[in-house]
Amino acid sequence: MMLTSMRNSTWIYRAAFVAIALALLFFKMLPLGSIAGDWPGPDLMLCLMLAWVTQRPDHLPTGLIALVVLTEDMILMRPPGLWSALVVLATEFLRARSALTRELGFAAEWLLISGVMIAMLLAYRLVFVVAFMTQPGFGFAFAQTVGSILMYPVIVWLLRVVFHLRKPSTGEVDAMGRRL
Amino acid sequence: MAKNRISPDEYTRPLRRILVGMLVLALVAIFLIWRIDSPRVERFRTALVDTMVPSFEWALVPVTKTVDMFESFQSYASLYDQNQELRRELQQMKAWKEAALQLEQKNARLMDLNQVRLDPKLTHVTGVVLADSGSPFRQSVLLNVGARDGVRDGWATMDGIGLVGRISGVGDRTARVILLTDSNSRIPVTAQPSGQRGLLSGDNTARPPLEFVEKPDLVRPGDQVVTSGDGGVFPAGLLVGTVVQGNDRRLRVALSADYERLEFLRVLRSHAMEPITDAGSLVAVPADTPPSVQTEAPVAAPVTAGQ
Repeated sequence: MMLTSMRNSTWIYRAAFVAIALALLFFKMLPLGSIAGDWPGPDLMLCLMLAWVTQRPDHLPTGLIALVVLTEDMILMRPPGLWSALVVLATEFLRARSALTRELGFAAEWLLISGVMIAMLLAYRLVFVVAFMTQPGFGFAFAQTVGSILMYPVIVWLLRVVFHLRKPSTGEVDAMGRRL
Repeated sequence: MAKNRISPDEYTRPLRRILVGMLVLALVAIFLIWRIDSPRVERFRTALVDTMVPSFEWALVPVTKTVDMFESFQSYASLYDQNQELRRELQQMKAWKEAALQLEQKNARLMDLNQVRLDPKLTHVTGVVLADSGSPFRQSVLLNVGARDGVRDGWATMDGIGLVGRISGVGDRTARVILLTDSNSRIPVTAQPSGQRGLLSGDNTARPPLEFVEKPDLVRPGDQVVTSGDGGVFPAGLLVGTVVQGNDRRLRVALSADYERLEFLRVLRSHAMEPITDAGSLVAVPADTPPSVQTEAPVAAPVTAGQ
């Protein structure tokens, strides 16, 4: 009974993630007259994925992340696949270090996430340069990354309050009896 | 149990690494395919947007309206000032209306004198803006008209006043308009009255710069900018905006179209361009037909016919 409920809850969390992703995409696309040259807001989608993977890596399988970001790439007129590949790499990096961030506390986690976000931005822009594609000015793009970094604690807090999503305590096991 | 510390993860980890590697490679491959054969992938993207976004329409429209309503509530605070200002403007407008009516009559008379026939093909389809680009780095909107309404790639799009952008990507039910402010937008324009031609190239700011002007000294802030029709992409003479001098001393264009409220857009039907199939036949005689050279003088009769 306990096992099935836990497994179900994982699927509920996955469904919730997809629903939030679709809602974010939907609100981004509302034609509310965004003016060219306005400061870009934080990339909430990126914050959400990195926060979720850091808190509970078992909820978000890599394939799901790739699928969601690829859809986002397609709809938002980004070069398809590039940002998805970077997000997959970043989440894999964080997934492998989820035990580490659990031990180090939130400040270190925030620092790590900031580093990952900046690295993603630089890698993304580097590929743009290599592929001879036009891209927005560095300050403009960096403003978005700074926004995302500042937004990250808020997203973690929201996930904790709304979804009761927190890092598993040591010794907690999943449905298959594996350690989390 | 405690002795047996080898968890199943130990076995699956290398396999997992390979699978993730393959996934990343596949995503990078998609990017490379897009970079090499962009039109095909873009067609797929258009089809995807065409199926996904209209299915959101039931929600997009009411939510947009609600947010708009809240924004107009905020403006109620300044209602009195606004009212006064509108009255003043109305007075001015009456004078302008009189002038416009007189000009219209004059224009009609002159056209009648010259026997001008307006081109019947220059009609338009009006579409409603469904969605934004959703990204701060891309400036485009999605219209609810598409191939089924006869919209084609490259057509000009205007709001009531000025040029807004160019159709790029037509699905069956939707069409994407690349706005003039997008960093991929390049529109040949003319500054009036000097007649200097240039290229309006969007750079993701509200006032795109005017580039490749031959004699920038002749272009003054305040000059009117219209499309030039060079390159055959756009009909000539569509109002774009007025020249302003940016903070960086460059010539920029303040766009006439109201970019804050893009709601209904006109898509102008352009002429079907004469397709140029091969480069040579325009200037030279085709190789398979021998050039006919006139060797004899023509019969001289018509030359002296008048005398």
